Amino acid sequence: MSDVLRVIDFGRVTPLRSQTLWHAIAYGVSAGQPATVSFARPSAPYVCLGYHRDVGELDERYCREQGLPVYRRMVGGGPVYLDDRQLFFQICLPARTVSPSRRDALRALLEPAAAAFRAAGVAASLDDEGEICLGDRKICGHGAGQIEDAVLVCGNLIEAFDHQRATRVLALPDPVQRAETLRLMRRYVTATPADPAAFRAALCAAYATALALRAIPGELTGAERSMVAELDQRFTAPRWLAGPGRPARPRFRARQVKVRAGIWTFAAQTRDGARLVASVVNGTLDRVTLTAPGMNGQVEAAERALAGAPVAAAGGVLGGLGEPGRELAAALAGAGGRL
Amino acid sequence: MQKVRGFPLALDRGYHPDTHMWVKLTAPGRVRIGMDSLGVEISGTLAELSLPPPGVVLTAGQPFGQLEAVKFVGPLSSPVSGTVLACNTAAAADPGLVERDPFGDGWLIEAELTGPGELDVLLSDPEEITAWYAASIVDYRSRGAIAE
Repeated sequence: MSDVLRVIDFGRVTPLRSQTLWHAIAYGVSAGQPATVSFARPSAPYVCLGYHRDVGELDERYCREQGLPVYRRMVGGGPVYLDDRQLFFQICLPARTVSPSRRDALRALLEPAAAAFRAAGVAASLDDEGEICLGDRKICGHGAGQIEDAVLVCGNLIEAFDHQRATRVLALPDPVQRAETLRLMRRYVTATPADPAAFRAALCAAYATALALRAIPGELTGAERSMVAELDQRFTAPRWLAGPGRPARPRFRARQVKVRAGIWTFAAQTRDGARLVASVVNGTLDRVTLTAPGMNGQVEAAERALAGAPVAAAGGVLGGLGEPGRELAAALAGAGGRL
Repeated sequence: MQKVRGFPLALDRGYHPDTHMWVKLTAPGRVRIGMDSLGVEISGTLAELSLPPPGVVLTAGQPFGQLEAVKFVGPLSSPVSGTVLACNTAAAADPGLVERDPFGDGWLIEAELTGPGELDVLLSDPEEITAWYAASIVDYRSRGAIAE
């Protein structure tokens, strides 16, 4: 195996290229190019979906009206809003060189990024949930994947974050859930305006040390450039944006949004018109709005009982509201854990 | 169902050691394919699963679907060549099913084999399977990939 860590800084690139360039690197590394750390900053705002996520999670009309392109990436995670105040980095290396445990591989490849934040003056840590945080606030979005025989992890330095717009691009028909999502995003996701040049240098050094490689400036090969052109086509094809065909989950008119690990909002409505909107913070119902036609007195008592209670205890309270309550409890029980 | 060093293992089917996929003959030339319990363990909590529709051609060693866990999307590699007859829509809708019952209701796809030799590359002798599984567990534990 090569002892080189190829470093490629693409600088400011189009939204499409801010995705396709690093995906092309993965194909190159799979074909034998050395481990590579790369950087890109999108020249304009856009929206990006994780590989498995539904386009329906986005307010497509808003995105279209705002001129925000939508692309689907080949790594995991949810729908995210990106703009030129976010510097994106990617580390890519042969799959055989990482732990077979995905959790361990991810941690091993995020630890150097956390170290780079610290070197750039941000007291970051990698928390138990595998997120890079400043205190209890997430400061770096990440996703990971295996493309052919290469594993890659991507993340970002968020110099400034438009919480309002990051929430607005999401399809959230319930105004209470939208407001709660924005509130939690402001509380639990924050920018860290470190010097991007210092962060970039620290990140290269941290990955070189962690992987015992020599960081050397490099560029794309001819094959990788050809792959960029191919990926440009793929990523702009409606069929690709539609995503992998999967059966619809029995979501029971429920909508959930993950703000960061352990922090999410939830909204569901039964056929009878009973409605539950909840914010969940580390397994506890933070705020709850409950409506159920014809049960006004009981609803207020249930709302008071739910606020501050563990999610796991919600079923007992909601069950007291009869069938609509049981339906809401079942939907809530099925939410969250696998986001 | 046996337990090998704490991990369940079904011995009525063949295994592809590199991919942690099992293959069970259901009728002449027809198989059911799934992931073994060790493959599930190293993947982490399964969040999403995409599986191919009937008619898709399978090539041994090539991806037939994708699995997402801990924001990590990775390929499900086919242990055999053939054609997809069915995918487990219940598992695709609820990937937790694969974790709860990897050798039963958590199967992934059913396929018609390209030829009778497709199963030859799999581990099929119960003693051989058990020894391989035990060695894999020891290896993963020594590397910290699974808990002691």
